Amino acid sequence: MSIAIVAARQEIQSLRREKLAQALLVVFVAMVSLSSFIGWLTNKNVTSIYRRVKDQGLTTAANPFDNVPALYYLRNTVIYLVLVGALLAIVLGVASIIRDRKAHTVDLVLVRPVDARIYLLGKVAGVATWLAMILAFVSVISWSSIAFIIGKPLTGADTVRLILFFTMSLFFLMGFVLLGMICAIYSSRETSALLLPVAIWSVITFVLPQLGTADHPVSLLNPVPAIANHGGVFSTLNSIFNPFSITEQFKKVSSWILGNTDFVGNPSIGLIILALVLLVGSFALLATKRDRLRREMYE
Amino acid sequence: MNNTMVIMRKELLDIRRNRFLFLLLSFILVAVLVSILVSALDFRVKIDAFNKYAAALHQAGSTVVPAPPQLFPLQLLRGSMEYLEILGALFAIVLGYGMIAKEKQRATLGLIFTRPVGRYQLARGKLFALAITWMVAVLTIFLVIAVVVAVVGSSPLHLIDAYRLLISAVIAWAYLFLWSALAMGMASFTRQLGISLVVSIVLWLSVVLILPQIGDTMDPDNQVPGGLFFSLQISKKNEQAVLANFATFEKVRNGIEVSSITKHYERSTFAYLGIKDKFNQKPIGYAFKGTLPNLLSLFFASCGVIFFALLSTTRKKLLRR
Repeated sequence: MSIAIVAARQEIQSLRREKLAQALLVVFVAMVSLSSFIGWLTNKNVTSIYRRVKDQGLTTAANPFDNVPALYYLRNTVIYLVLVGALLAIVLGVASIIRDRKAHTVDLVLVRPVDARIYLLGKVAGVATWLAMILAFVSVISWSSIAFIIGKPLTGADTVRLILFFTMSLFFLMGFVLLGMICAIYSSRETSALLLPVAIWSVITFVLPQLGTADHPVSLLNPVPAIANHGGVFSTLNSIFNPFSITEQFKKVSSWILGNTDFVGNPSIGLIILALVLLVGSFALLATKRDRLRREMYE
Repeated sequence: MNNTMVIMRKELLDIRRNRFLFLLLSFILVAVLVSILVSALDFRVKIDAFNKYAAALHQAGSTVVPAPPQLFPLQLLRGSMEYLEILGALFAIVLGYGMIAKEKQRATLGLIFTRPVGRYQLARGKLFALAITWMVAVLTIFLVIAVVVAVVGSSPLHLIDAYRLLISAVIAWAYLFLWSALAMGMASFTRQLGISLVVSIVLWLSVVLILPQIGDTMDPDNQVPGGLFFSLQISKKNEQAVLANFATFEKVRNGIEVSSITKHYERSTFAYLGIKDKFNQKPIGYAFKGTLPNLLSLFFASCGVIFFALLSTTRKKLLRR
């Protein structure tokens, strides 16, 4: 059997035993399952508010929630992918490398005529398969809960959109898996291996979008984007930092795939950026030298 | 010297020598400063937009003089307080976890307990060290904040502003100390270190990010960019009258929010710094009255967590196999 397949199978088996990954997985699945319900409850409440306002003659504006697409209820899932999903992906990536470095199994594997790149590719494939299984499970939950909320099965077009969304989410999460793996390879301590990618994630999720739009960190967790400042110096800052705000790009592309009415702009830039992240991450991982993988791990 | 003091001094020395922790604290400081500068730039853009609007009105022959946007320097601190609540809490967990993890990993606990160390002396020494570390870190952060706000706000801070900053610093200290003490207690309580880190990170994720996010998402006014009531052109007075009919939903939403200690920290600091319009330029007593439940929640939660850390960091718990 090829080395890559053996490494992938071993990875999947080990991930099933990883405690932090399991705990985050439970939180992730629970939150995604709850998100449609939260969206539905809020929508119902807002519609009731609108009706009361309309009945009292306080507004002539149209109900902003008239004819929302069925996949509207997935918009909280996007945030949970950015929050819990990305952290889960980082933990999976870090654990995948740290486990072998701490147990010195990587030394044992690399004394044999094994190409380090094939070994790493196998690991990436194992984590990707694991994540794909989780997202497939989550997409079935999302499909069923939306069908329950709207009282009928999703149309073929919506089902395709939902599959596309979760496929794109897999690519997005794989970027963080690669980040976790790279940090774990180059860190000499377990704590820094875990905290460095989390710090990078926080910069990508909070600091870079704030630099480009002046949005506050917490408002970036709301599925409805705050009215951001794009005037003056922010138009320049936005053009510099926006391409690196990967989570914001993911939100935009998700919004486009899910057919949200608040989406404006061109999704192709976001798609290209997400693809570039994967490409650069894979290249950086595969450029790892054999000796680097065998370095001593402390703590 | 008392055993508690010996342990505290040794911990402070360890922390001072830890370059990684120094980097983490520097990272928070940089994020906090960047946030202030971005807010200041944002305000400048608003001023420019206002000047253009006023000039256009003047050119059109209008005699109406619109009110210019006003800068309240402490309002620039919103993003900074949010960074402390998100990143600060995460790094506080790392600090607290490290207090016990290093002893377990280096197997030094057996050695410590060969000496006549009192039941709670180890826990007290470590908690004092955590409290002092956060006090120094928070004071440094707020001192830098005060200087930067005064510079970018182009006006010296008044004594009342210094009080507001000091009170906010105390609240931030209590919040960060709480997370460190919780992680320390968890690391002592669980047999396996890995599990304690898992529980602490899942708690951080749920309490700091998920619960406030759910509450925020359920807010009717957060459903449309710019606000639902603004988009429906409804006045504040009418908005409150309408919302009074949906009190149960609001109660549930608020209940979810206040089940997170992070929200208590946020509401208190936002009130004292005048970030929340309701408290802006109001006396400190008014903010105190308005946030008393939040302060009490933070106080009792901190006491509970310290109690938990004291009870779990004992010889019996730490030396069990």
